Amino acid sequence: MKKNNYLIFGILMVLSISACAPTMSTKLAEFPLMYEEQPASILILPPMNESTAADAKEYYSTTIQEPLAFSGYYTFPYPITADILKMEGIYDSELLVNMPLAKFKEYFGADAVLFTSIKKWDLSYMVLASKLTVSIDCKLKSTTSDQTLWEYTGTVVVDLSGGDTGGGVAGLIAKAIITAVNSAMADYVPYARQANYRALASMPLGKYHAQHNKDQNVQFIDQTPKKDKTE
Amino acid sequence: MKRKSFLFAVILACIYFAGCAPQKMYYFGNYSQTLYTFEKNQNEESLLKHKQELERVIAKSEVKNLPVPPGIYAELGYINLKANSSREAIRLFQVESQLYPESKHLMDRLIQIAKAKEAPESNLPDLSASKNTISKGTR
Repeated sequence: MKKNNYLIFGILMVLSISACAPTMSTKLAEFPLMYEEQPASILILPPMNESTAADAKEYYSTTIQEPLAFSGYYTFPYPITADILKMEGIYDSELLVNMPLAKFKEYFGADAVLFTSIKKWDLSYMVLASKLTVSIDCKLKSTTSDQTLWEYTGTVVVDLSGGDTGGGVAGLIAKAIITAVNSAMADYVPYARQANYRALASMPLGKYHAQHNKDQNVQFIDQTPKKDKTE
Repeated sequence: MKRKSFLFAVILACIYFAGCAPQKMYYFGNYSQTLYTFEKNQNEESLLKHKQELERVIAKSEVKNLPVPPGIYAELGYINLKANSSREAIRLFQVESQLYPESKHLMDRLIQIAKAKEAPESNLPDLSASKNTISKGTR
């Protein structure tokens, strides 16, 4: 009888877990063009900031190079490319979107360009805790075929409140002060970096990475926007 | 019996660590921090800090026997170019170009600009002087 109970329990467990499991996808199934085209170099374009935070653009753009390099790609030095785009008068995101992609190949020699829009960069500020919510849309486009090679949409929430300071009223006050100080410093670079790493987890690895062309079957939680992939 | 389980634990630990050990590809130091500070407050001090960080990344990478990350030499070269140290800029652009062939196209372009600047007047590289401008043409 007891054995039976275990069995039922086991079946229930399996059912409940399978129901909760997020949809998984492999890198090859989701981004076959990455393996077909094998882009080696990525030009990071100035992000479009649709959020209310004026700083978001700088936070984002100064932290995206590192994770891309660690993913095995050659990333053009952002301060230089951004400068050039500025001097050419096409720093503005609207103009960038309408640029023929082949121009980026011609001028910089880039295999692919990374478009990013920051949808949300919110600091929800409460008395005892504060949270940073970052939502981004990224798209990697080929400069030879104009196709979207990889894309990501996601939200990362980071808890900015200080560690546990112990109980009591004194503890609560201390925590409120820590929160205020943390928010005032607005030192979000590490969090922006964290958000970027999260976003890039599904990107197939590039030629400078030891796992290049060996990660086709790596699974990740599917967060790619479901829509027609004709773009 | 105890021995066996110990051995088992060791094997598990090995597998675990081998799987998780982060692959040290590059050393970036505080690169994104100093770059951010410079982007926010564009002044001599923040530029100097960022330049020093770039130099530190190069030195540390050598100590750690790692390749210098993409773009670091180029960025240092660009700072030199803006400070009118064209010769040093050209040298750094060449290093970047050798280390990462993907950068050759852009580095050659920057080297051209640096060469044109060797008898300098302006503080900023005049990119419109290079042959192709990017802003022509629409989709």
